[in-house]
Amino acid sequence: MNKIKRKLFTTLGSIAMLLGSFNLAIAGMPAPLDNPGNVKIALVRYLSTGDFFQAYLGGVESQAAALGVDLRIFDSRQDAALQADMVDQAIALGVDGIIIQHGLTESMKDAAQRAVDAGIKVVAFDVNVENSAIPQVEQSDYMLGKLALEQAIKDNGTSFKAGYVYVPGIAPLDRRDVAWQEVKTANPGIVEAAVFGTLDNPIANTNANQARSVLQANPDITVMFAPYDEFAKGVKIAVDEAGMTDQIDIYSADVSTADISAMREPNSAWAATVATNPAVVGEVCVRSLAIMLTGGNPGSSVIVPPTLITQAFLNSEDIKNMGDLGSKMPQFQHADVAMADWMPLPSR
Amino acid sequence: MESKFNARYLAIRYGFLALLAGLLIFFSIFANGFAGPRSAVFIFQSVAITGILALGVTCTLVVDGFDLSIGSVATSSLMLSAYMLVILEQNAFVAVVVCLIMGAFVGFLNGILIVRMKVPDLLATLGMMFLLIGLQRVPTEGRSISTGMRLPSGEVAEGVFSTSFLWIGRHRFDFFLEKLIPVSVLIFLGVAFLVWLFLELTRHGRLMYAIGSNERAASLAGTNVNFYKILAYMISGVTASIGGILLSARLGRGDIASGNNLLLDSVAAALIGFAVLGAAKPNALGTAIGALFVGVLLQGLTMMNAPYYTQDFVKGGVLVIALVFTFALTARSHK
Repeated sequence: MNKIKRKLFTTLGSIAMLLGSFNLAIAGMPAPLDNPGNVKIALVRYLSTGDFFQAYLGGVESQAAALGVDLRIFDSRQDAALQADMVDQAIALGVDGIIIQHGLTESMKDAAQRAVDAGIKVVAFDVNVENSAIPQVEQSDYMLGKLALEQAIKDNGTSFKAGYVYVPGIAPLDRRDVAWQEVKTANPGIVEAAVFGTLDNPIANTNANQARSVLQANPDITVMFAPYDEFAKGVKIAVDEAGMTDQIDIYSADVSTADISAMREPNSAWAATVATNPAVVGEVCVRSLAIMLTGGNPGSSVIVPPTLITQAFLNSEDIKNMGDLGSKMPQFQHADVAMADWMPLPSR
Repeated sequence: MESKFNARYLAIRYGFLALLAGLLIFFSIFANGFAGPRSAVFIFQSVAITGILALGVTCTLVVDGFDLSIGSVATSSLMLSAYMLVILEQNAFVAVVVCLIMGAFVGFLNGILIVRMKVPDLLATLGMMFLLIGLQRVPTEGRSISTGMRLPSGEVAEGVFSTSFLWIGRHRFDFFLEKLIPVSVLIFLGVAFLVWLFLELTRHGRLMYAIGSNERAASLAGTNVNFYKILAYMISGVTASIGGILLSARLGRGDIASGNNLLLDSVAAALIGFAVLGAAKPNALGTAIGALFVGVLLQGLTMMNAPYYTQDFVKGGVLVIALVFTFALTARSHK
């Protein structure tokens, strides 16, 4: 009897606690989020295929769930005109807020203005819609490049022969390129022996072919700067095939579970990568929007800081996947930007 | 008159090979590190996958068909092999066999759509292409497959790309030099030889050419046209899945990709093949040489630090020149 009673009490207790914390989150949120079920937000996407965008969506979904708002997803699958139409659809649907995820300035500028005119709060991720009412959420691509190169200099000194993987005209790669150009000018000892790269599918395989030719032509390269993980994967394949793993270090940007296992292969040439967690970027987008909905201002530019991840760190902490990385590296799991006292965070 | 005819004859028959020889000499002189056995093997390696796909395209071209789905069959086989290995934790043999069966089955479906349902070949295989691009993403909800990935159910995938599977993509046989010839190159040469043998030296191959030049006549002569057409698409599907397996074994993970570039590159190789030895028709030897031609160019250009956009331009240029060799010169010589 006693046993049952105790059980009953603990159950009741935990229910009360649960309710308490639940109430705390809901009651603590300012209007209109005090009644989050009636708040509708839309995510209008330009890019959606690939690990990065899947993880980004996961972040948006979990933060929206934590807030309790109704999230609608519009996916234009790289159709710029359709993406603009989707903003209009979202306006017609009567959403309270819109997140524009990637896209082209030319096609999204007017659509974004129409949304603002309709009284809708808008944030843009990685697309400049040239609108002062719209905060821009960014993963700092410049910092991604910069941190990776700082690590390269730390490991290899200020004079080495480098191969560089770059495809001009792709916005994030162009921003990462700024860091490379700076580092090159600042360190005349760094010689750019070859520039190559392609975005032909399957990216890793085509870049492996190119990198292999480059290594054949420039066997004295010691550093490869491949500021996109698909590039780095390709370069790693080429370095492995050429049997040059001991000689070459690869520095890259972005990270995924597959990248982690590639970096941790015995004798891997992939020395370090710098990344922002795409899920965190997604969460930050939703939080910025939530702040705007409650009348706050997240600032005109919300930058999600990147984290340096070295092979040595992965090995010493025995990190196998993105989940491990998050738990061993708290700054990767959560970025302390676009925060408010009342903001509920997704459960980990 | 006689000598003029000979000059044209020589141009048609050996012009393209002369061009290839010229390129090789040019790059050997001007591109640092181009000449040498490792570099040569590498050219073979870089074209092995598109070359294998191109041989499949050749078979469908022979029966006057066309297979747009090969690129997506290859990437589906890439995803399927990764799925078998990493998520279902099967061994390399099972993964390879399942992929080959998948390729044959897709080819069979293509064939049925075309000969039974009377859907035009381009449309049937286009539909199949989209179907596969979508289907290959369904099991993982659009994510790439790798060891340690979190499944939609929340579990962590524990399977690995076994060493015997990676061997297909990464092992190199010793041949005079240590670790020289990759497995993929041998498979490419093997597939090329088999397709050549089949098309040129067997009765079945000749019947397929007959269907390609005049389907009706071939049918009236008692050929089972439908059977050979379905067979051609099945060969195409199987070669594409072999390409996908090699890709998967080289990358060591199941990367989502549309495979459109694989399709275009392999079609280009097959069309360039028309020009080799003045064949003016799809042929296995020409396809293999066509693929190598593109490989030589890309390798040489990359070594000379040419930017990436020049590569597509050059590929296009080669294709146009090859088509000129095929159509203009041979058409005139028939007059």
